[in-house]
Amino acid sequence: MDQLPNLGREHEMLSAMGLSGIEDLFSDIPEKIRTDGPLPLRPPQSEEEIWADAQRLLGVNIDLDSRPSFLSAGLARNFVPTMVGMLATRGEFLTSYTPYQPEVSQGMLQAMWEFQTMISELVGLPVSNVSMYDSSTAAAEAITCAVRVKGRKATQKGVVYVSEFVPPHKMSVIRNYTQGGGIELRPLKHGTDGRIDLEAAQEATGSCAVYVEQPNAFGVMDEGITRLKEIIGEHTALIVCVDAVSLGIMEAPGKYGADIVVGEGQPFGIGPTAGGPIYGLFACGKDYLRQMPGRIVGQTVDEDGLDAFTLTLSTREQHIRRHRATSNICSNETLIALMGAMHMAMLGPEGLERLALRVAAATESTKSAMASIPGVEVVESNNPNFREFVVELPGDARLAVDYMDRNGVLGGFPLGDWWESMSDRLLIGCDERTSISDIEALSTVLSAWVEGVNK
Amino acid sequence: MSDIFSFNGAEGTGWSQPSPISGDAISTVPISLRRADLPRWPRASEPELVRHYTWLSQRNFGIDTGFYPLGSCTMKHNPRVNERIVQLPGIDRVHPLQPEHQIQGLLSIFFEMQEMLEVCSGMDQVTLQPVAGAQGEFAAIRCIQEYHKDNGQSHRNKVIVPDSAHGTNPASAAMCGYEIIEIPSSPNGFLDLDALREAVGEDTAAMMITNPSTLGVFEPEISEAADIVHSAGGQMYYDGANFNAILGKTNPGLMGFDAVHYNLHKTFSQPHGGGGPGSGPIGVREHLADYVPSPVADREEAEDGGATGDGYRYFWRTPDKTIGKVQQWHGNAGAVVRAWAFYRRYGRELELMSEHAVLNANYLRHRILNPESDVREKIPAMPVDGATVDFVKHEFTLSMSPLKEAVGVSGKDVAKRLLDYGYMSPTLYFPMIVPECLMIEPTETESIEVMDKFAEDFLAILSEDPSIVTTAPHTTDVRRVDEVQAARNLVLRHPCEK
Repeated sequence: MDQLPNLGREHEMLSAMGLSGIEDLFSDIPEKIRTDGPLPLRPPQSEEEIWADAQRLLGVNIDLDSRPSFLSAGLARNFVPTMVGMLATRGEFLTSYTPYQPEVSQGMLQAMWEFQTMISELVGLPVSNVSMYDSSTAAAEAITCAVRVKGRKATQKGVVYVSEFVPPHKMSVIRNYTQGGGIELRPLKHGTDGRIDLEAAQEATGSCAVYVEQPNAFGVMDEGITRLKEIIGEHTALIVCVDAVSLGIMEAPGKYGADIVVGEGQPFGIGPTAGGPIYGLFACGKDYLRQMPGRIVGQTVDEDGLDAFTLTLSTREQHIRRHRATSNICSNETLIALMGAMHMAMLGPEGLERLALRVAAATESTKSAMASIPGVEVVESNNPNFREFVVELPGDARLAVDYMDRNGVLGGFPLGDWWESMSDRLLIGCDERTSISDIEALSTVLSAWVEGVNK
Repeated sequence: MSDIFSFNGAEGTGWSQPSPISGDAISTVPISLRRADLPRWPRASEPELVRHYTWLSQRNFGIDTGFYPLGSCTMKHNPRVNERIVQLPGIDRVHPLQPEHQIQGLLSIFFEMQEMLEVCSGMDQVTLQPVAGAQGEFAAIRCIQEYHKDNGQSHRNKVIVPDSAHGTNPASAAMCGYEIIEIPSSPNGFLDLDALREAVGEDTAAMMITNPSTLGVFEPEISEAADIVHSAGGQMYYDGANFNAILGKTNPGLMGFDAVHYNLHKTFSQPHGGGGPGSGPIGVREHLADYVPSPVADREEAEDGGATGDGYRYFWRTPDKTIGKVQQWHGNAGAVVRAWAFYRRYGRELELMSEHAVLNANYLRHRILNPESDVREKIPAMPVDGATVDFVKHEFTLSMSPLKEAVGVSGKDVAKRLLDYGYMSPTLYFPMIVPECLMIEPTETESIEVMDKFAEDFLAILSEDPSIVTTAPHTTDVRRVDEVQAARNLVLRHPCEK
């Protein structure tokens, strides 16, 4: 056992305390609730054995880089600069706690203040926190935050309109987070073209908030969203969930009236990691600042007047405000946000733009390749898409995914898993690493499957 | 000072990337949606950024820097192989929505972790989805809420917490829509059973409590408390923040709890990362098993021996009455894998970990509270133990009130002075029931020598000239930080003006 410095020295410590055995220290646990015998678990292993088992078990998994992959559905198969992992795992960052002692935590505090700045610039809003768990909890807490801010003046009390194309797993998180506050979620309708129905959106006027995604879950870039704020008015918060990378070429939502912007930070900083740890973005206008969830870093000075950073506005938080806190969030995703900050800093403005253009180019190329397959129809092909688009197949998309899987291609996500009515639809996701040969591989296997169906 | 926003290289400075696979990609974006101005991010080369972040790291204190006796946070050493393991493509480059047969290795690790946590806690079903302790609390209280609803008990609208509870407990229950009843503790932070009897009733949904308490003391009447809550029709919730103290000795199931959360970032060494990521799985007894967040890992016998060679095929299962999801994927899988690697080091000997955590806490407490007489003579007023019990579990509290009264040195002053000596400060002013509280948790990964030296330095501070201590720290990167100004004059981002 290489984790216990005092192993074999127990007696020395016990006798210093005048005790004879370690069991003495547990004598305060009543007999009737003592564990009976040793834990029925496997024997301990050495580091070498653990590493070997990890390689063996994780080696059984098929990773996204080992084959052409078009599975995105909210996460990005990205490439993270090598510097990021090497620097973020420096022990001073990796093994530190929440920076409650600013005098010895200036490094992480400054890095998070820089993160706040970069996110603020990215989304076009003045305030960002240091991360939420992921985009779903960021979305959910944006809704509860908006209700706290807009609730009093709302004529539709406690009502929030949510885009009906928010995927069910994300919607489930939103429902869990909002049910306790008595918030009523109503669907914000989309037209048959997949875009927000702006006429129907007028219903949302007077509600607490409207939640939309840009691009939406089908990758559609919706121009109508830029007009939403005008329609719903100043007393209703506009919450926009973004694909962070898309903002290299798409307008910052803060510029078209978003009050709160949330999103998945994952494309900056970390691989998909089987869904976590990733991090959620949360940025807002000044009106929301005192009701927002999560940690915030502010700049100040020390006793000698030197620039310094510290956590601020803590009176919103659970450790001070307890049940009246704006959120229960305590542990967050700081280290992953740090990795995101490093990645963003590495990209720089033009690097971000190029990254977005690479994703856009891959999306467009894949989309045209799919459009040319007989029997495959790109749904609403006139819509502009970023990262994702949907195709209609001549049969159950799950079967197509299985077939492609057997032929070495991760062909996308069968939308029937989210909405049964869309069982013939396949969500195809692209990224900066999608290559021409990947697209050819997808075209080949999908064509072969379609031919098989049509036979 | 290294200021990232002063890096302003030529346009395009930054990370090199391949070209887009086709030209004119910008034309795919509708004109009205095109970005007018790029974000004013720094333009920096790799050498500049490597130096910037290295400089920042040197201005940050981690467990690797020095002793980190932060009570309630279990800042134990983070084994390095765990970090190497999560870099493997079989976790880093995996999508949560991949077909099950492509992620059998990951599912088997999830299953093993669920089983291990069930065994260690005496629970029947674990889900690994919650990504932080607070989210675990929230998820478990949601399960209890739905359970009550299904049993025609939705009028139960109150959750009881002791006044020594972590702030997340009341905050999580309030987010579920519950009213919070706070009950006072008796001396030593023990539960006041009379206060509890008075608080419970027809409207009690649950009680949330951690044991050992936030004073590091094992609650001897925990079974009686569980009986009181259960006879009123409420559920017992165990905050697993202090699980490190009891593994293999007792468990929440034996104590009478119905639901628990675990902090993989405390007990199972997921690094704290400056505030996260964490991982807060929950475990529940059988009557709540159908409610846990979906999906959970499950398995069935495989005729072909299974992909991992252990005879099983693994799959995701949706519990019948699941509350749904609290994170949109499967939780912090990377943290689960690290915790798995940590668990594998101890296996059935996890008890050894808890024994050493408790041994270290008691040893350090003894060292601090029983100084040699020549040391003691110089100290104007000794701290008072937050609990007058014979033994603590994994942590202990000290009230610095006597010193404050004697010479005006507060708990905060001592905490800040410890920074000068190269230590992280203990947890300050928590729990609130101990005045001028310092809460100290050495964890099992500190040596006798480190603790002896800490005790010596701690006691030396108590006898220092108060003018030195009250103005500490003196040797840190910055001196005492003006938090009032930070909150009054909010500067939450760089202006980015050239």
